[in-house]
Amino acid sequence: MSKSPVSGGPESAPATLERPVLLKRLFTVSMLLILFMTATVFFGISIGSTGSGVAETLRTLFDGKGTDDAMHYTIIWRVRFPRVLLAILVGATLSLGGLVFQALLRNPLAEPYILGVSSGSGIGAIIGILAGFSRFPGVSATAFAGSMGTLFLLFVMSSGQTMLKKDTLLLSGVMVNSFCAALIMFLLSITQDSRLHNIMFWLMGDLSTADLYQVGILAIALVPCFVLLLTLSNTMNLLLMGRELAESMGLNIKAATITLLVVTSFMVSFTVSYCGPVGFVGLVMPHVLRLAFGPDHRVLVPACIFGGGTYMVLCDLLARTLPDQGEMPAGVITAIIGVPLFIILLKRSGR
Amino acid sequence: MKPICHMISLLAVCSLFLHGSPSAAARIVTDEMGRQLTVPDDPQRIVSFAPSITEIIFALGREDRLKGVSRFSDFPPEARQLPSVGSYISLDLEKIVALKPDLCFATRDGNPKDIVRRLAAFNIPVYAVNPKGLDAVMETIHRIGEVLNAAPKADAIIDQMRTRISRVKRWVAKAHRRPRVFFQIDISPIVSVGTPTLINELIEIAGGINLAKGPTPYPRFSREQVLSLSPDVIIITSMARGGRFEQVKSEWNRWPSVPAVRNHRIVMVDSNLFDRPSPRLAEALEILARLINPDLFEGKE
Repeated sequence: MSKSPVSGGPESAPATLERPVLLKRLFTVSMLLILFMTATVFFGISIGSTGSGVAETLRTLFDGKGTDDAMHYTIIWRVRFPRVLLAILVGATLSLGGLVFQALLRNPLAEPYILGVSSGSGIGAIIGILAGFSRFPGVSATAFAGSMGTLFLLFVMSSGQTMLKKDTLLLSGVMVNSFCAALIMFLLSITQDSRLHNIMFWLMGDLSTADLYQVGILAIALVPCFVLLLTLSNTMNLLLMGRELAESMGLNIKAATITLLVVTSFMVSFTVSYCGPVGFVGLVMPHVLRLAFGPDHRVLVPACIFGGGTYMVLCDLLARTLPDQGEMPAGVITAIIGVPLFIILLKRSGR
Repeated sequence: MKPICHMISLLAVCSLFLHGSPSAAARIVTDEMGRQLTVPDDPQRIVSFAPSITEIIFALGREDRLKGVSRFSDFPPEARQLPSVGSYISLDLEKIVALKPDLCFATRDGNPKDIVRRLAAFNIPVYAVNPKGLDAVMETIHRIGEVLNAAPKADAIIDQMRTRISRVKRWVAKAHRRPRVFFQIDISPIVSVGTPTLINELIEIAGGINLAKGPTPYPRFSREQVLSLSPDVIIITSMARGGRFEQVKSEWNRWPSVPAVRNHRIVMVDSNLFDRPSPRLAEALEILARLINPDLFEGKE
């Protein structure tokens, strides 16, 4: 998917890179990250609660299924593999979400979780769960409604001032987040149900529930969004150059903004309805990748897809293996890594 | 979506062949959720998803077939030796599958639906129980006994439970009044038990009045509300033992106007005995009856 040349945006746009250079760059970066991702996926399916062995996994994968390996084969492909795939999709979505919000709001600290979009989908999802909807399409729809609601709230709160002002936007995000947290606590406190425990676990970001079928549905919904964002990657470059310049390039800012926002919210709320609001992935990955590969979004979008996926698989692997007994929600790991980075970025951008 | 479903069921069938399922003979049973499932004629590899189910299987003498239990399965003590498949709220699919069970037992109250759905895809039958009262617990024991071909043993357990229950009823019938009981299952917030709970039933049979009676299963109370109810007995079950109980007790002791405080009737009971729908409920009932009407039981065993 990444190998297709990225078109989109007017041809006359002054790109930071010439086309052949860009293609070469794109190819190298994608190949490198895909290699990383393949390696992580391999570790992801080799390690689990019933023991782990890289050699054993290799033997099972390539040797076919001996009678004794049948169980191992089942566990690798039908227990661990769906989970790894889900992690890739979630990581890619959240990293892309961070990248889009950072470009759109021209704020390095923007991210679905920090802005409250994830919590908003969380509220929607909890309402859906309590109402007894099925995960798809019911809970996904309520989650989407929730995230659109918080986005709207966010814009109302920070309108009248320029969106460029970092503090206003972040403070609005913090407030939206607190409000969502309060609503979630309210919903949980009026629920007297055994479902409560599941929701608590889900709230911290839990990747353990989906099977291959559900991951398939998620992929069908998300992959077109990824492709759409790939075609919009040059638009993000233009947006970052400033309103006047972008408009003079013939970009319809309003249409571009709305498309980006809706697509991103849709993606984020869809993943939230599956595995809860996992935080800070959208902060960590775009910054790391920008440091490594430069600011061109035509490279960053595919980099976020593969790099974000890799990162999430690693975080989930830690979440599965760190505790002695059982496992912890993956959201715990992403927050432990993400929050210090957020503070560093905040200090740096304050200077 | 349909083709994917077919593919998954095909996969499931394939994996069945791969496992070389040992028990060819099978029968169809209906579990307590009304789900029909195919279980082996004589299940050999059982996994229990709740401590109460583990207790029932041990009581039925089928522990040799129990290959895995949920994490807090600690009674009888031998249960701790069995492999753990995660806590009953967050079960570890990988561990369950690796144990190659031919039958799992789940409880509707607590085990997530997701895990049952996913195990079905692995062709592992999950028998769900849903005991909602003392009679229902005996029914559950009977059903599990039937599935595990231990019906005579199950009936013996149930007979014994019935005998003990009716003995308590006979004793309690002699009481002149029904003491007012506040049964506290959590410390902060203070949570008690409403009418649709097993403990409410136990309190009623044991000759007490449950002060938290009402449609809410686990109502919350402020301290003020509890004081105004002026309970004769305060019974506290808690996961936390020892020091924690003393602390809670001393908090109540600050209100000597409450009859329970005045008469030193604040007691702690083993929560595992009271919140697990298992054969030990008969024992829980006897303990409760003694706590509620101590004078009736003087000199009795």
